[in-house]
This record gives sequence, structure tokens and C-alpha cells, in this order.
Amino acid sequence: MDNTEDIIGDSFLADLDDLSFCDSKEEDMNVSVNYDDLESVSKLQKTQGYLDMMKKVEDKLENKGNMSDLGDDNLEYKLIVECNALSADIDSEIVTVHNFIRSHYRHKFTELESLVPHPVDYAQVVKKIGNETDLTLVDLQGLLPSDSIMAVIASTTSGKPLPEENLKKTIDACDCILSLDLGKNKVLEFLESILGYVAPNLAVLVGSAVAAKLLGTAGGLPALVKMPACKVQLLGAEEKILAGLSSAHFRKQILKKIEKWQEPLPVRDADHKKKRGGGRISKKKHRYGVTNTRELVNQIQFGLPEESFLDDRFGEGYGMLGPSGSEEVRLPIRWRRLVAHFTKKFKDMHVVRSGASTGFTSCQAFTHAQGI
Amino acid sequence: MTSITFLFFSQRLKMTLTKKKEVDSVIRDTIDKVLVLRFGKASDLVCLQLDDILEKSVREVSKFASVALVDIDSEDVQVYVKYFDITLLPSTIFFFNAHHMKMDSGTADHTKWIGAFQRKQDFIDVVEAIYRGAMKGKLIVSCPLPPERIPRFQLIFKDV
Repeated sequence: MDNTEDIIGDSFLADLDDLSFCDSKEEDMNVSVNYDDLESVSKLQKTQGYLDMMKKVEDKLENKGNMSDLGDDNLEYKLIVECNALSADIDSEIVTVHNFIRSHYRHKFTELESLVPHPVDYAQVVKKIGNETDLTLVDLQGLLPSDSIMAVIASTTSGKPLPEENLKKTIDACDCILSLDLGKNKVLEFLESILGYVAPNLAVLVGSAVAAKLLGTAGGLPALVKMPACKVQLLGAEEKILAGLSSAHFRKQILKKIEKWQEPLPVRDADHKKKRGGGRISKKKHRYGVTNTRELVNQIQFGLPEESFLDDRFGEGYGMLGPSGSEEVRLPIRWRRLVAHFTKKFKDMHVVRSGASTGFTSCQAFTHAQGI
Repeated sequence: MTSITFLFFSQRLKMTLTKKKEVDSVIRDTIDKVLVLRFGKASDLVCLQLDDILEKSVREVSKFASVALVDIDSEDVQVYVKYFDITLLPSTIFFFNAHHMKMDSGTADHTKWIGAFQRKQDFIDVVEAIYRGAMKGKLIVSCPLPPERIPRFQLIFKDV
């Protein structure tokens, strides 16, 4: 396992180098991405990692019964991650080669890329049509749904047939895509069989591809099992975030917002809120309204200074409650804590209480000035 | 040059009415929406300014108002000109469900709005005030605009 890992790691590094080499080559050419050579475009199938994995996959697919080396959890997880990565790589490779084919074939048949957007279907159709000018002679049965076939045949194009060497390159690229697609299917089949041993129920529930992705993002079966349900939802969100930054999705959101802004103004008071009355509604309202105690606190006796649970200067007054009212005052807990805090803090101040040991009752303050 | 471009704008989207029948049908057929009827000439500068504002806000108020322009120069329409006593241009008259809505904007004449609006939002506010008053069943509403933005005209009485 470690050996293949190292090889894969190295091959990825090699891929990166190749990619940068490719980029510099593109910069030499003029503005549009015009691949001339299939070799520089599609490197994946030549990487060692790819070949190794494919070999492993095919081996395993042939001797299906032999799953004994999947006893180790860690090994299974690694294998699944590798398969995931491989299928993602194949996907991006297919896209690259698809662009390559398009850049050549659009000279011949411009509309085809919008009629048949899917890369693999496109490749098959291109291969079938070749350099043929009369589309009615081409038999596309089985490759596309019948309405697409109608659309393809009906479209009149202003393209001209490709020169021989370009045609050959295009057909080679189509073959490349088809073989990549086959490879991906094999990998997915392989993945399904692994999952059948690792997490069979999960695979049946959500499908093998999704199950593989879940396991991959979670970091293995034990990790996935430990997650609470809310976290499992977030696993998919990671992918979504990247997808959300894609320009098409972004553009759609922006267009929706602009449309909303441009709507005519709404009619005023059209959504008339029905205000209801009655004993039941009134009782409901009063549950969250001002209580009797609070009402008493809000009222203040005229002409007398308000009393409060702390000194006259601090604390919230209690209006008609307390000594000036008729109610007994029981302080809420947070007020009691405040009292303790303040008495401690200000006990050093030279303000002497005349007899009362607590600060609850307000009274005249006897200071040195009074001559104590 | 500018007047020609303004002309183009004013004739673009809103209907310009020249016959009495057309005016009749417009007033009758606008249901549950404020009808803004502008009496003016397409060649007058202030008219063009007003038309510009109207043009820009037609779509925005379309859910509760509709706008129509009446050309004073046509013969057919003189009946209305006389009825509403239109002397200064442009004059805008508001209707709601075929009822003539008055607005007190601090000027001498409550039956119509004389002059242009300074901003698009002013026009929308006025229309909204009329709409809300009308929905409540009022026959006259007060103008929501501050006096600085209300165009003042001297009403000159004939024979005085």
C-alpha cells in the first residue's frame, strides 16, 4: 500500500510539473486555447498512478471472491479515497479532452456542442459523424435520445470538413474519452464492490457513488459513524461551497436579485393585518405585557425621594412597591448580588448608617460633617 | 435637439390621448388604480420635464396607478379643458375609480397639480398619498411633499 501511495504521490507531482509545462506552452500560442496535440492535453492515462490503480481495479474485479485484505479499516478508507480521487481525476481529464475535441470539431459542426453537451455523448457522436457532410446518412440510433437525434440532423451548419490530420487527432481524442469513461465505470464498479464489504447498507441506501463520497469526506467508516446527523449534512456542503463560487451559479443568483429589484412597487396596505379582540387574545397579550408589580414600580410617590435597594444613588428604585407602598419587597437574586457587591465596594466610604445594619432601608446619611 | 429627444421619450410608452372618447374610456376603465391624467403640450419645456418623470415611474407604480397624457391642442378635448379650468401647463388631474381626487398641496388650486415634479420619488409619494386616501374613502388628501418642492404658480383670474 505504501509503495503505491508513494508512486501516486510522485505521479501527482509529476502531473503538476507537466501541467505547468502545458500552461507555458499555451501562453506561447495566441489567445484562445487551441490545443494542437492530444499528447500534451491528456496526460492522465500515462501516469503511473493511473496505471497502477487501473491494474488493481481490474485484478480485483476479476477475482471477486478475494477480499481478505480488506480487513483493516484504515486500508479500506485509503482505498476508497484513492478511488474517489481517481474518478475525480478522470472526470477533469474528460473535460479537458472534451474541450480539445470541441476546439477542433466546431469548425466542422458548430451547433453540435450546444445540442449535445455531455462530453461522452459528444465524443461518440463526433466519432460517428466523422467528416460526413450529409447528416442524414449518419445513424445515431442508440447514442442519443431520439429528439436529440432529430435536432442534430435538422440543424444546418455552416461548417467545413476538417483536414485529414485534424480529423485523425479528433477521432483519437474521442477514443481517449471513451476509454477514460470505461475506466471510470470500472473504478466505480470496483468501488461498489468495496463498499459492499465496508458499508453495504449505506451503499444500498444512497448509492455507491454518494456512499463513497460520504466515507471519503468523513474520513473513514468509524469517523462517519461517530458523527451526529447534523454534521453528516455538512459533508456535502463543502462541495457545494466550491460549486457556489462557480460563475454560472453566481450569475443566476445575481440575475434573480436584479429581477427582484426591478419589480414595480407593491400596493400599500394590501396585506392588511387582522387585529383581533376578545378575552382570549387579551389574556395572551397580557402574558408578555407589563405586570402589576412592574406597574407599581413604575409609579412614584410625588414629593418623596424614591427608595431603592441600594443606596440612594445606586440601584433601581422601587416606586410604589416597598416601604412607601404596601407590598413586601423580596429582591430578585441578581439584585441581592449587586447589594453584596456594592456594600463591599463602598464600605470604605465615610458614610455611616444610623443604626440600620443593611443598606435596604434608606435613611439620613451621617457623615463627619454632621459631627459624629 | 434636446426637445426632440424628449419628444421621443414622451411618446414611447404611455398613451397620448387626443379624443374625448379615449379620455372617457380611460377614466372609466381604470379600476382600483389611481389614474394620472396629464394635460399639456409635447412642445412645452416644463411638460417635457414632467413627462420624463412620468415615463420613468410608470412601471414602478404600475401596481396601483396608471398614467395617460392628454394633448391640449386637440379640439375634441377642449370640453375637459374647460371643465377642469386648465389654464397653466402642464396640469395633472388624479382620478380614482372615475372619481376626481383633490389634493391640498398648499397652493390655491386643489383640484389639480400644476407644474412638474422635481424628483421621481416626489411623484411616487404623491400618487401613493392619493391611493391611500382613496382607499380609505377620502375625497381630498394632503400633499406629502415639503413646500420647497411644490411648484408655485400665480393664478390669474380673468377679468380681475
